[in-house]
Amino acid sequence: MEFKTQQIEDVTLIHVKGRIDHRTAKDFENALKPHLDECIAGDFKKILMDMGEVDFMTSAGLRVLMIAAKTCKTCDKEKGEIAVAALQPLIKEIFKISRFDLILKVFTTVQSGLENMSSTSAGAKK
Amino acid sequence: MTTIRLPAKPESLEKLIEAISGFAETAGYPRGKIGEIELVMEEVLVNISNYAYPECSGEVEIRFHLKNETTLILEILDHGIPFDPFSLSEPSISADLSDRKVGGLGVFFIRKVADSIRYRRDGEFNVLTLTFSK
Repeated sequence: MEFKTQQIEDVTLIHVKGRIDHRTAKDFENALKPHLDECIAGDFKKILMDMGEVDFMTSAGLRVLMIAAKTCKTCDKEKGEIAVAALQPLIKEIFKISRFDLILKVFTTVQSGLENMSSTSAGAKK
Repeated sequence: MTTIRLPAKPESLEKLIEAISGFAETAGYPRGKIGEIELVMEEVLVNISNYAYPECSGEVEIRFHLKNETTLILEILDHGIPFDPFSLSEPSISADLSDRKVGGLGVFFIRKVADSIRYRRDGEFNVLTLTFSK
């Protein structure tokens, strides 16, 4: 798996690439950990994950996302926010089956996610 | 009918899943459907690898064939502890985040994504039969 992180205004954008399954879920968890640790430490966090290059995910990946969402919410009910964007068809399907849209905000595109999450309109421009 | 038998260990999963998805690809299954098959297979095999043999090592066997050129039929066998995937209650997926439980979705996906699923305990074997239409 590959991860690239960009800070765009007040949104931490994480580009995720690869398959998230039983073998790689730990890598995914480790990639999110520093951001969640900042959240636990009381830092203001808005995390958007670009899933456009993730074409496969199992319940192991959803487990990581569930823990991340719970951590964000527990740390800062007002400001902590975690979302995903650009879901591939299979991921969209498992989100629908498991109603993960109730757990995380889901945006059709990264751009719409940035526009929605950033507190400044400038944040929407890459 | 093709049969593959390997140790029920995490290291075997990739080989088993590749064999099934390669077969489905050759049979003309669309990419999206192959993704669903891989998802279900991974969930089934991870369960067997993690829970079927708590006190010893064991094997997992997969038998598969195509019926009427349109339906992939898979039988997954292990001789571990009895496990009926229908015995688990469905996770409360409509609950609010704070009430949602971490985990429990693997078996749920198996039940929801496969076109049909049947379980039987045959002597000392768990036998799970799954079908996927093109």
